[in-house]
Amino acid sequence: MIAVNNVKKRYKDFCLDISMEVKRGCITGLVGKNGAGKSSTFKAILGLIRPESGDIRIFGKELRELGGADKQSIGVSLVESGFSGELTVKDVVPVLRSFYRNFEEKRFLEQCAAFEIPMNKKIKTFSTGMKAKLKVLAAVSHKASLLILDEPTSGLDVMARNELLDILRGYMEEDEGRSILISSHISSDLEGLCDDIYLIDHGKMILHEDICTLLDEYGVLKAGEEEFQKLDKRYLLRYKKESFGYLCLTREKQFYADNYPGIVMEKGNIDEVMLLMIGGLPVSAEAGREV
Amino acid sequence: MHIIINNSSMVPIYEQIVGQLKELIIRGALSAETALPSVRGLSNELKISALTVKKAYDTLEQQGFVVTVHGKGTFVRATNPDLQREAGQKEVEEELAGAIGRAKNCGMTRQELCQLFEIVLEDYYDSGE
Repeated sequence: MIAVNNVKKRYKDFCLDISMEVKRGCITGLVGKNGAGKSSTFKAILGLIRPESGDIRIFGKELRELGGADKQSIGVSLVESGFSGELTVKDVVPVLRSFYRNFEEKRFLEQCAAFEIPMNKKIKTFSTGMKAKLKVLAAVSHKASLLILDEPTSGLDVMARNELLDILRGYMEEDEGRSILISSHISSDLEGLCDDIYLIDHGKMILHEDICTLLDEYGVLKAGEEEFQKLDKRYLLRYKKESFGYLCLTREKQFYADNYPGIVMEKGNIDEVMLLMIGGLPVSAEAGREV
Repeated sequence: MHIIINNSSMVPIYEQIVGQLKELIIRGALSAETALPSVRGLSNELKISALTVKKAYDTLEQQGFVVTVHGKGTFVRATNPDLQREAGQKEVEEELAGAIGRAKNCGMTRQELCQLFEIVLEDYYDSGE
């Protein structure tokens, strides 16, 4: 659905250099700290910034070849954009109707009612949660086959986040050919939703894994000083000094579970992987020196 | 069909699904030809990634418990007691192999392991059985 190949864009103090892919029928998550390049990635994919090199394809076409019909099949929600606060949802409906050929008005109104979004109140009086839900409902309202969502759950409480994720799950269940590209700071949202995850840091993709591998095969070892020295470091990706000893990230959880019975090991999750991939030291040099 | 996922378990989620579905099939709670929920449907219900569900269904298919018909869905296969027994034995064999590997790692001899095996066995089977 989306293919990004060696896209480069240089700014004064930041350089974006990315390749990624969103497959048909998949939900792909993009995580990274603030300023890592998530929103720039979204902007590049939407053609809002012009890369210096590389190519971006959506539905197999280059961005400039995308026609009106293609754009009709993309639903987007960005962080600092939305409907004018002076409008009510009632005002927004005719706008959506004239924007999108496939706008499902009845369904949109039903969903707004189901999520308790007021029809006649000005949007500027909405709570953060209501605004966020309205944005996502609008994005799924016109039978798009691709959703591009930048931080749709940011600032929401756990209930609102779950409701929003349910909208997305429902959207995916309706048609197997649909895809979503989504970013979030709340990694638990992505763990139960995405099929694969990209981790971006300093404008580069530093990790890409399918979610099963990430949750089942990655692990975090907690080793005391002595234990760490004895540890076979071949399968460690990163380590970090802590007060108790070392925190180590591995992609071969089973190896350490089998060979070091008794070692403290936790299941991998996006937060830990992110913390160690970005904040930890690479192990290869250390292991090389010791062997 | 009810599946309960333990998100904080060290057992991978797809294995939890495989285990529970297998049990339902062996018990006969899911009879032959029953359609399993669609991948997206179950992922939606359990609030887990569709990939995890797909991996579970693929594993069950490899083990001969279900069959996926492209475009139609995944169905429980006609139960074959021999196959089930074989699958069960294979699992036991794998787990024993894992335990032996760990015993080797902590330096146990073959004899020590055999003795330990007998002792543990006592707890589960009456003597002479």
